[in-house]
Formats: sequence, C-alpha cells, structure tokens
Amino acid sequence: MNERLGKRVGPYLWLLPSIVLMAIFVVFPIAIVFKLSFSEVSKSGVVGGFVGFKNFADAVSLPAFKTVMLNTLVWVVAVVGFSTIIGFIIAMVLNQKFRGRKIARAILVFPWATSLVIQASVWNYIIKFEYGNLNNILLNLGIIKQAINWRATYMIEFMWECGVGIFVTIPFVTFCVLSGLQSIDGSLYEAAEIDGASFWDKLFNVTIPLVKPSLTVSTVLNIIYVFNSFPIIYTMTKGAPANKTDTLITYLYMLSFYDRKKGPATALSVIGFLILCICAGVYMLSVMRKEDEQ
Amino acid sequence: MKKLLALLLALTMVFALCACGQTAAPAESAAPAEESAAPEAPAADEITLDVIICQYGPNTQDWFLGTGMNGTNFVDKFEAENPGIKLNLEVVSWNDVYTVVDTRIASGQAPDILNIDVFANYANEGLLEPVSQYCPEELYNDFFPSFIEQSVIDGTVWAVPDLASARALYYNVDMFEEVGIEVPTTWAELEDASQAIIDYYGGDVYPWGIDMTTDEGQAAFAYYTWGNGGGFVDADGNWALNSPENVEAIEYALSLYSNGYTNPQPATQTRYDLQDMFAAGKLAMVIAPNSLPTYAADKDSTVNMATAAIPANEGKTSSSVGVMDRVMAFKDESAPDQAARDEAIGKFLTFFYDPENYVGWVSMEGFLPAVNSAVEALVAADPSFEAWLDVLGSCQFYPTAKAEWDAVKQGVITAEQNALAGASVQDELDALQAEIAG
Repeated sequence: MNERLGKRVGPYLWLLPSIVLMAIFVVFPIAIVFKLSFSEVSKSGVVGGFVGFKNFADAVSLPAFKTVMLNTLVWVVAVVGFSTIIGFIIAMVLNQKFRGRKIARAILVFPWATSLVIQASVWNYIIKFEYGNLNNILLNLGIIKQAINWRATYMIEFMWECGVGIFVTIPFVTFCVLSGLQSIDGSLYEAAEIDGASFWDKLFNVTIPLVKPSLTVSTVLNIIYVFNSFPIIYTMTKGAPANKTDTLITYLYMLSFYDRKKGPATALSVIGFLILCICAGVYMLSVMRKEDEQ
Repeated sequence: MKKLLALLLALTMVFALCACGQTAAPAESAAPAEESAAPEAPAADEITLDVIICQYGPNTQDWFLGTGMNGTNFVDKFEAENPGIKLNLEVVSWNDVYTVVDTRIASGQAPDILNIDVFANYANEGLLEPVSQYCPEELYNDFFPSFIEQSVIDGTVWAVPDLASARALYYNVDMFEEVGIEVPTTWAELEDASQAIIDYYGGDVYPWGIDMTTDEGQAAFAYYTWGNGGGFVDADGNWALNSPENVEAIEYALSLYSNGYTNPQPATQTRYDLQDMFAAGKLAMVIAPNSLPTYAADKDSTVNMATAAIPANEGKTSSSVGVMDRVMAFKDESAPDQAARDEAIGKFLTFFYDPENYVGWVSMEGFLPAVNSAVEALVAADPSFEAWLDVLGSCQFYPTAKAEWDAVKQGVITAEQNALAGASVQDELDALQAEIAG
C-alpha cells in the first residue's frame, strides 16, 4: 500500500522544488504584472486602485503603438526567419566531413557566447561613420573613396539591428539543426541515392522531414527569445528617433521609466505575454495533435 | 515525451517572459513594509539611514565607499563622527537610478535619503518630507537662494541642491585661427562660421554638434529656444511649448543639420559622442558642461579649447543652461522615532556640505557648488572656477518643479526626433502643447 502511494506521489515530490521556485520567480511576478495592468500606477510607481481596462485603452491609443507593433512583427519575422534559413545552411555545411570542422564549429559559438550588450556595442563601433572599422577597412582597401554613413536613416538603423539580431541567433539554430542532422541514419541517404534522388530531392524528402522536430523547437524558442530581446535595440538606438526603432519590449521599458506611464507599460507587457501565449499554444496544439495521430 | 517537451517549452516561454515582467513590474520584489523597518529595530538608540547616491563619474563610488577620501571614505568618516547613526549607502549609475528608486518605492522600501535630479513626482505624490523638517537652519541659509527656488512647489521646499553644472559653448581655438574666423555670437554668424569651416576642411570636420537623443534632447530644446526668447514656459510659468519663438528656434536647429553643418546622427549621437569628437578634433564647436576640459584630458586630447557664450538669435540674449541635481528625504511612517530620524538626516546633510568634505566632492568630478561656504576654497584651488560661478549666476534651469516635466522632457525629444525624420516642427509642438496643457 505504502509502496503504491510512494510511486504515485514520488514524481510530484521530485517536481516540488522546481514548482516552488517557478511559483516564486515566475508565476508570482506575472500575477503582479496582471494586477498592475488593471490598477492605477503613479509616476513614481505607487500602486493605486482598480481601473478596469483603462491602462489597456491608454496603451493602444499611444501614438507610437502601431509603429512599435509593426516593428516588433518585422523584427521577429526577419530575425527568426533569416537566422533559421542561414543557420540551417551552415548546419548542413558543418555536417559535412572536412578539415577544420571542429574549429569551424567552435568559432560559430562565439557570437552566441558573447553578451548581447557587448555584441551590439561592437557593431556600433564597426558601423560608426566617423571612425568605424567598416569605413576604415573599405577606405584602406580602396573600395570606397569617401566614408559612407552606414546609419543614414532610421530604417537603415533598424535593418542593422535586425542584422545583428540575425547574426547572434544563427549559432543557436545551427546547433539545434546540427543535432537533428546527426541523428539521421546515413542509410536513408544511400537508399535515396539508389532510387536516383537529386540533392534537392534528398533535402526536401529526407533531411527536412527528419530535422523538422529540432527545427520547430528552435523556431518556437527563437520567437520567444527574439520577441523578448532587449539589449540590441536598447544599446544601438534606444528606439530613437521617436520610438521608430523600438520593439514592444524596449518601448514598454522606455514608457515605464522614461515617460513614466507605468500603467500603460504594464498593460503592454500583458499584451506581449498574451501574444507569446498564443504562439506557444499553437505549437503545443500541433504537437499534441501529432501525438494523437501516432 | 513530446508532451513533456511541450510543457518544458511552455515553461521556458513563461520564464523568458519574466524579462518583461521585471521591467514592468516594479513591485515584483515586494516585501512586506515591516521587513524593511526590521534593520532599524534592534537598538532603539541606533538609526540606520538608507541612502542612494548617483554615480557622477569614476570617482563617486570610491569617495563614498572606497578609499577615495584621503584614504578613507564618506561612510566610515561619517559613522565615526556620528555615533548612533549607520549609513546603508548605495551608489547607483544614472542609467539605473530611476528603475531602482521606482522599484523600491513600489515595494514600500523607499530610501531615507535620495540623490537624483527630479523631485516633483515624489513631492506631488506625498512621498517626500519638507526640507524644513530636517535641514538645520545654518545649512539652509548657506545654499544659493536661486538654487533653492528651483525645488519649491506650492511654497514648500522639497529638496536641496547637491551640485550644479553650467553649459557653455566650447570651440577649438586652433581650428578657428587656421580658418581665420571669429567665435559666433549670433545664429547668422554661426551659419557663416560653419560654412567657412566646411569650405576649409572639406567635410573632415563637423562645425557644430547637436544632441537630440533620448539621453539629453531636452538640452538642445533649451539651447535654441532660450536663445530665441522662447522656452518651456511663458513669463507666467505656464507651458508654452509651441510658441512661435520655439518653432523658429527648433527649425533653425534643424536647418543647421539639413545644411550639413552638424554631426550626421543627432537622434542617436549623445553629448558624450560629441565630446569625444570634439576631443579628437573632429568637431569644431560643442555645447558642453564645465567638466569638458577634464573629460577631454582623460581621453588624452590635445585640442586647444576655449569657452564662449552660447550663440543666440539676432537681438536676443544668450543664456546659459544650468543643470542641478538634488538631495531629498523620503517619509518613513514606520520609523519609531521621527524626530531622531529627522535629526539624523540633518546630520548627514551637515556632514556632506561641510566644506572639508564638500569641496573635495564637487571638484573631484568637476562640478559647481551649491553652497556659499564652498566657493572660497574652490576658487582658491582653481581660479577658472570664478568665471563659471558668474555663468552659474545667469543660468536658466529646466522647469523641474512642474508636475508635467517628465512628459515635457520626453515630449520635446520625441518632437525633435520626429522633426529630424521629416515631420513639421509646428505640428509636433502643437500636438505636444495640446497633450501637456490640455
């Protein structure tokens, strides 16, 4: 009797520490944000009474709201999309046997292992107009005659930010895909070759279906990371000019601590939370449906 | 297995979201208010003051907590001279101080003493103690009256100035001699000088620096509007952001940019970027605080610089921009003995402004003093201080005592940045005025 009880309770007992930690550090803060988003919050952060959906209405009617949401969409789609495609290609290359493969794999970790603030600051220096490395190198090589302003408009600046985002995200995708690639049985390719399959046939009918699970994992995680990413944009432009390069996360920080509109800022973070919940929900549903099929 | 993975994913996502939760939920580290009072409880006759000081430069931390005060530090020296008072002093960077303070207020752990620039929100929300509650009269009378006036709301003084800095035009003397031009005093002369510098150096040198960044874009607004008889408020102290003078002034600043007389990215190049360019001889003129020579020397700059008044529009008076920071005391209802607490705060201030300590503090980071008693010693140590004290006397200050200042400050920056990206200055300032003044 005791043994059976132990078996039933045992797993939950082991889970308990992490559940407690999550409750304190994850669930509790989220609950507070939800509470704040329905409360009046003063400029200094003093929490007042219940105000219903006022903070949400204020947040949505902010002049920068549309721009910021559009930027967030572009930012997530561009960074996740391009880093997935490029990361996938690099993983395919690194899966080949060649001399120096191990070094190449090690080098790939660098952008990922460096702090994002450092990355963004370094890129700031690289593309600096006055004494940036990029202009210096191109001038010294004689490729350009005059220094180019690499940050001429905010659209270009935002593209640079996306570029840095892609650059730092590639390693993660590559390693996810690489682990998937390595688990593919070589005999599948042999069988395909005997059937006369071309490179593209093998890619679309063998490789992609088999790395799909790891690709899905990396994509969903990336959407979450990239959506929540703060350092690159904050370091490179702080959202300037006039929030035109802000994403939701950097904008709500500025809104809370620079504009001191703390109520709408909490409402925005709840909106962000719900958006990500939908993303994760869609993913979970698809996984569960597949499990049912199997 | 996949269900587990899905669960894991969902949890990771929630975890990741913590990041945004943290920024938006100051109350997250909420601890019951009683707990914050606990350290003060053990000995009834001992008082612990929580103090937050802003990091003005590389020496601040060392002076307050390290060995930067002749081998000792502020906290040790204060505690030795004031038995029964303990200081729990933190030095916080300017970048984080608003986040730190707001978070502590929201969780009922406001500091006893805070050093920061703004005070109006804290005062309006009833969080501050009036200065008269804790500041000894002798010390109070020592402050420059024009400084104290900047911290008054409805007749009550809510904070005292800790130091100030004043802005002036710095120019590269050698460059001006080489090109053969005079220092501009009016806007028209500034355009001519800029054109001459462009013609001479062929674009290798930016004549004029503009900072319209999120860091300090409000300063640019002040430089140009005050130099055109405009400003944030009208003669009665009401917001007048879209006055014709202001529109003309900002349009003039933008014309400098569009004519190619300035640094190429006013929206993202901060004053520090400009100071770096000036120190490297890449920028001919920049409006900067009196600490610029120290700043440039730290960068091994060899630029030969001099100061002049900030150019104003024809027929208008030039006025310097004063920037002042403050010290204020928060209320603490849970303190067992309010009178003893007030007295302890008074002792802290008396000790801080004691010329023996204060002169070292102000000169260390190259700032200007806020009390009369420090002037003599500072001028004796560095005669160039005298000229700056004159400038300080004619300074205008931001209207930081007005409740809407935060919104105005961000609003003018947004207006400037939108205008840089092509929007109409008139429309931007009209919209801002409507938003602020209703």
